Amino acid sequence: MTLAPVTLIALVGWGMLVGLDLVSVWQAMIARPLVAGGIAGVLVGDVEAGLRVGALIELFALDVLPVGAARYPDYGPPTVGATALAAGGPWELTLGLAGAVSLIGAVLGGLSLQLLRRSNATAIQGAAAALAAGEGSAIRRLQYGGVARDALRSALLTVIVLGIAAGAARISLDRPTAAALTVVVVGIGLAAALGGAIRSAGRGRRRAWLLAGLAVGAVIALAVNL
Amino acid sequence: MKSRLRALLRLFAVQGTWNYERMLGVGMGYAAEPLLEELKLSDPQRHAEAVVRSAEFFNCNPNLAGLALGAEVRAEYDGDPGPQVARLRTALCSPLGALGDQLFWAGLVPALVGITLAAVMLGAGLWAIVAFLVVYNGIRIWTAVWSLRTGLAAGMNVAAAIGRSWLPRAAGAVAPAAGFGVGLALPLAAASFLRPFPLTAGLGALGLTALGLVAGYVGGARYGALRYALLAVLVTLLVRVVLT
Repeated sequence: MTLAPVTLIALVGWGMLVGLDLVSVWQAMIARPLVAGGIAGVLVGDVEAGLRVGALIELFALDVLPVGAARYPDYGPPTVGATALAAGGPWELTLGLAGAVSLIGAVLGGLSLQLLRRSNATAIQGAAAALAAGEGSAIRRLQYGGVARDALRSALLTVIVLGIAAGAARISLDRPTAAALTVVVVGIGLAAALGGAIRSAGRGRRRAWLLAGLAVGAVIALAVNL
Repeated sequence: MKSRLRALLRLFAVQGTWNYERMLGVGMGYAAEPLLEELKLSDPQRHAEAVVRSAEFFNCNPNLAGLALGAEVRAEYDGDPGPQVARLRTALCSPLGALGDQLFWAGLVPALVGITLAAVMLGAGLWAIVAFLVVYNGIRIWTAVWSLRTGLAAGMNVAAAIGRSWLPRAAGAVAPAAGFGVGLALPLAAASFLRPFPLTAGLGALGLTALGLVAGYVGGARYGALRYALLAVLVTLLVRVVLT
């Protein structure tokens, strides 16, 4: 895995924006793995690899409901980093390892979110007196500080995943092992998405719509011979 | 008008200081600042109290935070008693959280992501992603504008305004679309990802899917699928090392 400095900078910048989008700023859904991976694919010059990695990790992300104070993995920046690993080779052989790297990164991302939330709380405790006095400048400082910390977290997470990806690229897997990894991660990704959909559907008419979607999807897949 | 626009833009970063103590509180205070500027001129004492209240504990779905922000600011300008404004803020947390989560996180997002994933699997490429971003953000921005405007118009009567609005109906109506969208994507993803492999490999993947569903149903642990995937990758690598 060799990246030009400008590509590396672009990936880290994109990973930073993606990480910020998950919670702190805008939530425009660029943090969805499908979007993060697709654009990362453009940046590394292999759109297909980006879309494949993004689609695979999206299956895992569909299992997550980012509600309230829930703890969840951060899939966006790791998808960006893993796309660099998958690029340039046949996706059937690179996707499994890239997916595994992305999932490791997602766990690290989830932990980093907890650290961020704690550091935000510490900053607020430090500004308690100013907040109690109604100082608008204190609120602004806290807000800009929180966003800056999340930007740093996201960029660092992308760098770490790129580092893991660079290490993984040195592992020489034979073709059957690389293909087996792809099949394994795809199989479990499908379980994640389907499990999440079944849980969300509950027992009501949404479950009937889920079944209808599965049936229509299967018919289309057969019809177009995917 | 300018202050409303500034508040609206700041609302898009309402979770910028998310934490377990005040949750969205500081972000709400940041978004409230431009709207409270006129109060500073007319009633500095009230303004100082309003700024303190605006940054206290608050939590809801970020897409609907404008309803609470607008209602709170309107109540401050109307001179409603401070404790009443604080109670309004607290009372709005649960309904705005539940409605917003149902509408966006459990409804619109999985519905649109599912359709986008299906389109990508069918070869639409980056255009599907562009369409997803345009549609989602169009709805999100429109909702944010509507929320702030409705909150500012209703003040203490915001709960009634929400009850009369499109919001509860939409939250219920979007759920089937989410189920359908995700359902649509899964067979297409399975077919697209597994087609290059031999039938036995495809059946093996679907076996892992079934096993994962059972494990998730029985275990239900947080990060269940993620842990299961990492364990399966490790086992695959170990098996390959032993066999070769």
